[in-house]
Amino acid sequence: MAREDRKRKQDTDDAADDGERRGRRDKRPKEDKPKPAPPLPSEIRNKEKRSEVYAKLKRDKKAQKRKLGRERAQAAQRAAELGEEVPEKQVPRTIENTREPDETVCRPDDQELFAGNDADEFNAVLKQVVTPKVLITTCRFNSGRGPAFIKELMQVIPNAQYVNRGTYDLKKVVEYANNREFTSVMVVHTNRREPDALLIINLPEGPTAHFKLSKLVLRKDIKNHGNPTSHKPELVLNNFTTRLGHRVGRMIQSLFPQDPNFRGRRVVTFHNQRDYIFFRHHRYVFEEKEKKVVTKDKKGKASETKTEKHVNCRLQECGPRFILKLITLQHGTFDTKSGEYEWVHKPDLDTSRRRFFL
Amino acid sequence: MPRITSVESPGCPPLRAITTDILGLVKVVEARARPAGVAKVVETWGEPDASRAILVASLADRAVDPVLALARKNGVVELLNPLNGDSLAAIKASGQEQTTGAVENDPIVALHLFKKHAPDLSTLGTFLACTEKGKASVRSVAKENAASASDVGPSSTWDVCSTGKLQFSSLDAGENYAMFGGNGMEVNLWDITSCSKIWSAKSPRGNSLGIFTKPWFTAGTFLCKDDHRKIVACTNNHQVRLYDTSSQRRPVISVDFRESPIKAVAADPDGHTVYIGTGTGDLASFDMRTGKLVGCYVGKCSGSIRSIVRHPELPLIASCGLDSYLRIWDTNTRQPLSAVYLKQHLTAVVIDSHFSTEESATIRRERRRIYMLKMKLQSDGDMMKKQ
Repeated sequence: MAREDRKRKQDTDDAADDGERRGRRDKRPKEDKPKPAPPLPSEIRNKEKRSEVYAKLKRDKKAQKRKLGRERAQAAQRAAELGEEVPEKQVPRTIENTREPDETVCRPDDQELFAGNDADEFNAVLKQVVTPKVLITTCRFNSGRGPAFIKELMQVIPNAQYVNRGTYDLKKVVEYANNREFTSVMVVHTNRREPDALLIINLPEGPTAHFKLSKLVLRKDIKNHGNPTSHKPELVLNNFTTRLGHRVGRMIQSLFPQDPNFRGRRVVTFHNQRDYIFFRHHRYVFEEKEKKVVTKDKKGKASETKTEKHVNCRLQECGPRFILKLITLQHGTFDTKSGEYEWVHKPDLDTSRRRFFL
Repeated sequence: MPRITSVESPGCPPLRAITTDILGLVKVVEARARPAGVAKVVETWGEPDASRAILVASLADRAVDPVLALARKNGVVELLNPLNGDSLAAIKASGQEQTTGAVENDPIVALHLFKKHAPDLSTLGTFLACTEKGKASVRSVAKENAASASDVGPSSTWDVCSTGKLQFSSLDAGENYAMFGGNGMEVNLWDITSCSKIWSAKSPRGNSLGIFTKPWFTAGTFLCKDDHRKIVACTNNHQVRLYDTSSQRRPVISVDFRESPIKAVAADPDGHTVYIGTGTGDLASFDMRTGKLVGCYVGKCSGSIRSIVRHPELPLIASCGLDSYLRIWDTNTRQPLSAVYLKQHLTAVVIDSHFSTEESATIRRERRRIYMLKMKLQSDGDMMKKQ
């Protein structure tokens, strides 16, 4: 019986067509091996086909992401309703999160830091012994957006005076400012009719910080801007963590008066992120709103409407918006030839994408 | 692109360095053999006080009785025991006119503690201090008067220069000759024992445009141990110059290095290499026989280098500066070995070469105590014999 079966199988095998055999041969490899991976969109040489495949891939990925997000939200809601623990929200990994541990970060219990602060050049202004008086000037040929920027800067910084540069040497300007008891000099440097560098010189012998200025947006170009008042602004300095950052932060702080007028509702922010300092100037207002909240009883029967009072804060941007990046911090007043630098950016310092200096 | 792979640094050999900063703190950094290669701060002496900022430091690096001298901003020269930080004496060295204004305006610019004077029991040490206005004085401090801030013993004062600001001073290995230089002041060579000026430099001839720059020397050192005639002086104009006092007054070799003033220089014991540090944190070594740049020390130094010191035996240099780091480099391979963050602007670093990892500080103190006792017994015995 077995032999007959085998013979019948052999006959059918022999009688099979070439096509059938090929068909069977094709089938067998498919059953044995897994499917070959679909080609990457970048491997397809036909542009139309490639863009089609890529678009489909992106759509699928987006749909997948939305689905996961929806699932997570539903799981959280379900857990909240059932009274269980809400699953923890995932935190995205950012470069700031994964910043390299830096030994120069200021610690809150460092006595040397406080002693250093007491001894440094900004201490007189920051302890309100001296009121800050700022002299603003420009580079020798100032045109384009420079004058408009300076006008706005004068409104941002209280007690600031503008002096035309003429052809004075910066060293002479510093001497002039020292004689008239200014506490800092700010020089706005213009290149190709666009302000591109800011030099802050702390007087009498203080450090000089040279910043690169970029992404300047003047007030008239901001949508729905507000007009600043002349109250003393509140200063917000974010994220100046390292010693160098702390020093630069104190330098910026010494430009503004230390007794802000909170009722004036005016705030100036210097936010440091990844060594870029973002400058913003806002007016804010706190408003109390009554919000109707519908609370459901546990049984789900009676629904009561309570009115809860919420305090809302609204911001209106006024004044310029720009970004600063520290290029050098020099130990004395501005002196290119015999200058001693506390910090100079060198390409050898950039050894890691997760290391920042401010 | 930032460099992602890190170069393996062969750790730091055992050493002990003492750094001073602008808050008047003295920090001792040690690298031991067992937790291999990492230098750490082991002790901090002093209270943070900016009016007592340390301007210059000098170590008498003896095996038995080392003394560390510090020049503070308020004109006081303090002598410390570098093993445990005890203050041995404090002398007012600057401003003999006791007006308050004078002390502020005439800070001590250079200090050197003499090594060769044998540590006999009566004197703690002799030092040479120079102020910015050009007053140089050699004073010795006696042990009995240590508390009373006055000095006993030969002390001589002379005026090094009348115009210009003194910025550096350096003594040769034999401690007979001293050189001074500064802003508006040419490099001078003086004989200390006779307090006379032996030689003074002359500026190189004006360049092709006829521009003549005023001399401004920021750092200098004697080139080799046995020859007091070869001097290396560095200018504010980023030049390194070799002078030969026995041949001519103008510089023999003058080399330009990058674009910022040279703030510190140290000579190598081999007699022909010097290490220079600039205002932007560049450290380099030059071969002064030919004037060629041997190489730059590439590392993360981003602040002006205030002081460089070369270890007398091991091939390494320590540099400190305004970026608040003490960095240790290998001189043969120019690789950074270690960097220690010290939180303040550093002004000077000295290396204690008699540091061995087996002994601890207490053992050394004990040894010293025994030595002093022995000497005392000997001298008492002599006195008894005399009587």
